[in-house]
Amino acid sequence: MKNRTLFILGMIFIVGCILFGGFLGIYIIGEETGGYMAIPMIVGTLLGVLITWLITKWSKRRNGNVPNFDERSIILMKRYLMIVLYVLLIGSGATLLILYSMGVYFIETGMLIVCLMTFYFIIGVGAFITKRL
Amino acid sequence: MKVINHIRDIRLEKGITQVKMAEDLQITRQTVNAIEKNKYNPSLELALKLIEYFNVPIEELFYLEKEENL
Repeated sequence: MKNRTLFILGMIFIVGCILFGGFLGIYIIGEETGGYMAIPMIVGTLLGVLITWLITKWSKRRNGNVPNFDERSIILMKRYLMIVLYVLLIGSGATLLILYSMGVYFIETGMLIVCLMTFYFIIGVGAFITKRL
Repeated sequence: MKVINHIRDIRLEKGITQVKMAEDLQITRQTVNAIEKNKYNPSLELALKLIEYFNVPIEELFYLEKEENL
């Protein structure tokens, strides 16, 4: 029961963050240009939750009462996140130095947002693969 | 020195599947597989659970691989 409550609270938090981020994005780019994005964003988020819930149910029916995470998954995830931390720290530092030496003195914030979004996506996919190992 | 285990043999002897074992011990099937292939050493807590689950003495389940120069 405790795990179920934690799962529901976690899902509410994640969905809240997705919606908040989406609305923040719409607010930043402006109501006129981004206004039409609100409905696809909400529908997409809800569809995502529904698909995740259906996959969880299917997985439970297929594998029985086997947990998704255990001590080994946590150890693997710790190692993965440690590698990600150092790759990001050293990699971004090196990239900045290379860019500066190449004569790039200014970076557009929009480009940084796109860069971070790519990082989040790659880290997320990596975490998913690590969990499956 | 590497830790070797006989979990696979004992499990098969008792006719238990990996999924059933994972369900009973509340671990993932991948962990069962990794332990059986000696790729992962379980924590002391899980090792004690395994001993209790199979009802065998610890030395029958886990032992240290003997090095030739010892």
